[in-house]
Amino acid sequence: MPPRQRCQRRPRDPSGRDGGGQLPWAVIYYRAPDQTVPALEFLDGCPGTIDAQFTAVLDAVAAAPPPRFSGGGKWEAMHGRMGGWYEIRLTGPGREQFRLFCLLENGTGDELARRGLPRPAVAVITGMRKSWRTVFSERDYQRVQELGREHQRNHPRRIAI
Amino acid sequence: MHDPEYRAAYERAAREVAQTDAVIRQLDLLRVDLGISKAELARRVNRNASSVRRLFTAGQVRPELPLIVALADALGAELRIVPRTAEAQRATYEPGRQRRVAATGLALAD
Repeated sequence: MPPRQRCQRRPRDPSGRDGGGQLPWAVIYYRAPDQTVPALEFLDGCPGTIDAQFTAVLDAVAAAPPPRFSGGGKWEAMHGRMGGWYEIRLTGPGREQFRLFCLLENGTGDELARRGLPRPAVAVITGMRKSWRTVFSERDYQRVQELGREHQRNHPRRIAI
Repeated sequence: MHDPEYRAAYERAAREVAQTDAVIRQLDLLRVDLGISKAELARRVNRNASSVRRLFTAGQVRPELPLIVALADALGAELRIVPRTAEAQRATYEPGRQRRVAATGLALAD
């Protein structure tokens, strides 16, 4: 499938401050060693309306990052073995379930600089989809975690914006 | 975002997200203004403290309307549906069926 024009996403470098007086975070996408970008590939394979909703939620969260309530109830802190991760949960046609898995890049200025990030960011790692009333396997989650660990090993981060 | 369909879907999603976020944040601001702790607010609506804490920090997805309404009531406020603009009302008016749909903004009134 050729890349969609709609995937020319909005610039993620808004300069204005939000209502809380906090600078918006950036949205970055993990780039794998083979130079693919799993999250963008996932989004390109989603229905257009789902892709658009994911983008809208990411923009909202970046504009008003945690711990503030943000993302319209579609952004959720994960628990258990996925503690430290956040996911965006959407329902598509036929109740198909779409998930986008993210990590937060926050820390002191020095730490962020070491990661090659000028400011805090939402790091979008990868996504998965499943039929309604089915569950992802342990292997599925392990794969997500492996990508996250690979992302966090990189100083500076290897990313697409 | 050159695709009009994609742009429309994005803008619709962004409006929905912004409205939900605004309502939850406004509730939390009201709570703070009134000097009520999350635990106390939870007690007033017969919920456990962690559920209210999760609500205000995006630890929980899809906040339920009955809970939102209960929290607003406990804070001396209420939810209202406010038509966005006259233009939006016209755009969503179906004259043949005498019915209006959506095109509303949620507002908290105290």
